[in-house]
Amino acid sequence: MHISEGILSGQVLSAGAVIAVAGTGIGLKKIDYDKIVHVAILASAFFVASLIHINIGPASVHLILNGILGLLLGFAAIPAILTALLLQSIFFQFGGLTALGVNVVIMAVPAVLVHYLFLPLLGKSSKLNFTAGFLAGFFSILFSSLLLGVALWFTDKNFFETSLAIIMTYIPVMIIEGVITGFCVTFLLKVYPEIIPKKL
Amino acid sequence: MNNKKNIIRLKNITFSYPGSDICTLDTLDLEINKGDRLGMMAPNGSGKTTLLHTIMGLCKPDSGVIEIFGKRLKQEKDFTPIRSKIGLLFQDSDDQLFCPTVLEDVAFGPLNLGFSQQDAIDIAKTTLEKLGIQGVEKNVTHRMSGGQKRLIALAAVLAMEPEVLLLDEPTAGLDNRVREKLINILNGLDITYLVISHDFDFIKAVTDKIYSMESGKILTDEKIHIHRHEHIHKHGKRPHVHK
Amino acid sequence: MIEEKFASGQSFIHKLDPKTRIVAVIILSFAAALCDIFFVAVLYFIISTVLIVMARLNRKDVIERIKPVFWFLLMIWILIPITFDGQILYQFSWLKISGTGVILCCKITIKSITILLLFTSLVATMSIASLGNGLHKLYVPDKLIFLLLMSYRYIAVIEDEYKKLLRAAKFRGFRPKTNLHSYKTFAYLAGMLFVRASFRAQRVHQAMLCRGFNQKFHSLDIYQANRFNFIFLIGISAAGLSLVILEKIWI
Repeated sequence: MHISEGILSGQVLSAGAVIAVAGTGIGLKKIDYDKIVHVAILASAFFVASLIHINIGPASVHLILNGILGLLLGFAAIPAILTALLLQSIFFQFGGLTALGVNVVIMAVPAVLVHYLFLPLLGKSSKLNFTAGFLAGFFSILFSSLLLGVALWFTDKNFFETSLAIIMTYIPVMIIEGVITGFCVTFLLKVYPEIIPKKL
Repeated sequence: MNNKKNIIRLKNITFSYPGSDICTLDTLDLEINKGDRLGMMAPNGSGKTTLLHTIMGLCKPDSGVIEIFGKRLKQEKDFTPIRSKIGLLFQDSDDQLFCPTVLEDVAFGPLNLGFSQQDAIDIAKTTLEKLGIQGVEKNVTHRMSGGQKRLIALAAVLAMEPEVLLLDEPTAGLDNRVREKLINILNGLDITYLVISHDFDFIKAVTDKIYSMESGKILTDEKIHIHRHEHIHKHGKRPHVHK
Repeated sequence: MIEEKFASGQSFIHKLDPKTRIVAVIILSFAAALCDIFFVAVLYFIISTVLIVMARLNRKDVIERIKPVFWFLLMIWILIPITFDGQILYQFSWLKISGTGVILCCKITIKSITILLLFTSLVATMSIASLGNGLHKLYVPDKLIFLLLMSYRYIAVIEDEYKKLLRAAKFRGFRPKTNLHSYKTFAYLAGMLFVRASFRAQRVHQAMLCRGFNQKFHSLDIYQANRFNFIFLIGISAAGLSLVILEKIWI
């Protein structure tokens, strides 16, 4: 989920950059040297997972999975997502430099939010695990698309209808990410529960 | 026997992974003396890698004594200084080569030892040269072939000038050419080492003594006899243990 | 998949210090992004194409690279003219094409392509290792640079693991479709990637400890300073500044 270059106003770009820098700072502080490799390679996995394409009827969408990354990493997800987005713009030219801050906010703030909202629900019962995973996936995309809409709307009030249209088109993605994240969380709790942080 | 300088001594080491009641290492004893060229053959899951990780202090045993260079090691901080003197070659070179370029990878150890940037680069270059891998310093590590990666990983370990080398399945996934090269390199080194491998011919070519491991214990020469049969046998060409 | 196609050239741009190129791309990209007049945006576009020519990149590869942005621009051209208010250019019954919207689309198109070309000519022309080196010299925290280098290093390894997993699933008859079973399978594959990544991280961390990692990152400085860096940076800053002034006077 990216916003492209050349659209947003200076204020929105700088606000995005400031929030991204602050968030990255907090995130880096929370990563100690024993965990830094873990965060780095999970960021690689996040990058690779975003290349997985899922069919919806005749069309296909790629996975985003910022919800899972948020559950696993909390605040550390911010520098991880910054890293992945920077590598994406280097290799694929999805987004460039000026919108990087805003894009980090769009992807990473929801990741941190779902960490604090839904992580406490995990590990209680298998049914609840799927539900919590679903909600984490669903809401991470919902929050992301709302942030994207807000960024456009703050740039120009005339973007209101465009923003609404974009949020609407993301509804199927929210559902798919919810389902995938739900299954993914139950899978992780079954095969390698240590990967999911115990406490907030 | 006792006039040999003892480098590594493990006594009564017991280790089991958390949540498992199987002892991966079971009252294990091992001695490595200066100048030893030991080989070890053992089936998968017999605790070979755990053994190497215990020597390096990456796995902390539940009980037993680890003595390296005559010092008893208990905590993480005891192991930090000895890690630069014992070089461990990992089974998967991708785990060991984590820097973007070959030169940076080989220079990583020397830089950590406190060498200046220029000295670290020089050490890295000479080490690569010694192993016969020139002209790849600026290459991106992950794009090298499997064989090259193994040799670069070995260079990265040797650049720290360790006194002992521990090699975990060094020939896994290598073609014959690189395997021959590795045999020549090891035979040309004046260093104590322990090689763990499935590759009987390789172990035979580079070591003087062969041990084996079974259910968390080490079986030494006296107790076992590993050899290859020239006749047809139900075990085929695979080396095996006679009791 | 992960190729540094443009990193291995021999042009003037390739020889510049990474630090210089990073500063230059920041100045020019932000100046271009904030510009509000179509004519000035065209001037930025010209600068970016000059840089692409100077970097002597394969033209086909460059076009291939900026292709994804055309899809995005297509969406913009469909959406904005009909949803924007302002002076009306055309009207078919209920459908109003806004003139302001069309002008905005033109500006967005030229600006987004410009920024991508700047990034391609100045940043995509260096290896990730050089990028890390340049960021280090610009006082970016070591931890962040380490994340970038390490994450880049293991993308190819993790991608290989993904391909193996997918192949294994396909050998067992898995055909991706629009159904719950397919989604579940992909969820498990993605989950497995995270599990493998975590195991891999443990081993890499152990390997770092074995080689004396003491919580300090060292960066090898491989670029020599040369005076062109300074001249280039002065030139870029002057160009950016004069365009900003031009725009201010225009208004």
